Amino acid sequence: MTDSVAIHLRPRTLWISRAQRRGTAGILAVLLLWQISVWIIDLPPYFYPAPRDVLAAFGELIRNGILIEYLADSSWRYAVSVGTGLSLGIIFGLLIGLSGFWSRLLGSIIRFFYAIVEVAWIPLLVIWIGYGFPTILIAISYVVFFPVLYNTLTGVQTIQPVLINAVRTLGASRFQVLTSVILPAALPNIMTGLRVGAGFAFRGLIFAEMIAAGSGLGFLIFDGASTRQTDRVVVGMIMMGLLWLLMDRLLLRPIERATIERWGLVRAQGGES
Amino acid sequence: MIARRSRPFMRRGSAALTGILPFIALFAAWALLPALAGIPEFKLPSPGKVLNTFTNMMADGSLMAHVWASLQRLAAGYLLGNLIAIPLGLAIALNRAVSETLTPVLSFFQSIAGIAWVPLAIIWFGVGKGSVLFVIANTIFFASIYSTVIGVRTIPRVLFRASLSHGASRWDIISNVVIPGAMVQILVGLRTSMAYGWRALVAGEMIAGTDGVGYMTLEAVQWYQAEIVILGMIVIGVLWLLMDALLFTPIERVTVRRWGMVR
Repeated sequence: MTDSVAIHLRPRTLWISRAQRRGTAGILAVLLLWQISVWIIDLPPYFYPAPRDVLAAFGELIRNGILIEYLADSSWRYAVSVGTGLSLGIIFGLLIGLSGFWSRLLGSIIRFFYAIVEVAWIPLLVIWIGYGFPTILIAISYVVFFPVLYNTLTGVQTIQPVLINAVRTLGASRFQVLTSVILPAALPNIMTGLRVGAGFAFRGLIFAEMIAAGSGLGFLIFDGASTRQTDRVVVGMIMMGLLWLLMDRLLLRPIERATIERWGLVRAQGGES
Repeated sequence: MIARRSRPFMRRGSAALTGILPFIALFAAWALLPALAGIPEFKLPSPGKVLNTFTNMMADGSLMAHVWASLQRLAAGYLLGNLIAIPLGLAIALNRAVSETLTPVLSFFQSIAGIAWVPLAIIWFGVGKGSVLFVIANTIFFASIYSTVIGVRTIPRVLFRASLSHGASRWDIISNVVIPGAMVQILVGLRTSMAYGWRALVAGEMIAGTDGVGYMTLEAVQWYQAEIVILGMIVIGVLWLLMDALLFTPIERVTVRRWGMVR
């Protein structure tokens, strides 16, 4: 707590920050602990694989191209499904949110369907349309659709009427009101919805691939376990974590930062009532 | 354009009534569609058949047994995960070096927490209760600890300095600055960890369970008993709504009042 003063005095000559160095040390420590625990536990690799086994499995999966293919499959499925859920969520959120009647009409049923988690839909979807991409697409866009819809709705309903009246007095058309007031004002909420949905969707994707797909990271993890190739299971889990962190850092956070920077201030000023 | 705020006197009653209409429409469509569109019974059983299954399974106690098994497991995983995660999270976050060292590790484990552990859990603990409990507790632990650590780290530093300059002891700081300051994030963690834990429970039971609502729902697919699948979905939805209304809405109301709910 008290060392914060020292940080400011220290010249910033290092190209990585102290937090990053410490974080790297933390990751190395976990790897080391893993190796030590392998020596102590001393069980067959199919039960508790060592870092070396996992690295070997990783090399093999890279060489025969399976890992790249599965990564591409998972990312593509995720992108298409999240994109579908997001756009549908925004469209319906705006449509319903702009009318008091529709939001009263549909509010409770939306809440009910939001409560039926996507995981629970997968069995029924398997009965209806079988295994494969359509089932995954529906289940994953479902889990993005509802939080986005719900938050868009909240965003639209909490806009200060005075903002809309102001632009209208200036002669804005309905479309202009939508694009210059409602959408920007609802954007932080939409982002919140996307964030919640994207997190659930990623885990949902892994689960859906375990049950309803023949490729992808979820399939790799599941198939590795049923064929007793536990090293592959661990490769799949690590890749999953890395893929999520990558998406989080490169995609979600920049978007979030952009919307907050761009619109957050506007909202803070107009938010006094 | 905006939700109209007129007619407040009849709004509550009519809103509740309007809200029921889509359920009636959905129910009517469900009842009529199979006959009109020729959807076979094994794909979309009639509401009557689902209701029949419901009464049968209530009568022989199997439905309540599944529900009870799931809820018990969720409660055990939730308590276990949070009771370790929150104190540990606070302890980690108190020390800057420790929290900087562990943040990347925690965020990595948080991102793979849950369903991805199911296959490994089956290898370690076999199919059954142990695996599912491990997966839920793991999910809840990482969701909650991450939130707690973030909560402490986002407390404005000036609050620490202010209390230190007033002669606060370490314990004073923990009880007067850290815990109240992180409380909102801890509650967020309690809530998100429940949402993640619930999904992990249903998914875990589907793959590794031998009982519970998730097991009941996926097991029925093998026998093409769509009526049990649909019943399972409704039960899953209703249980979540109940938990949300009974557990989280009151907590949120209290915290909003007490802490003025931030931002």
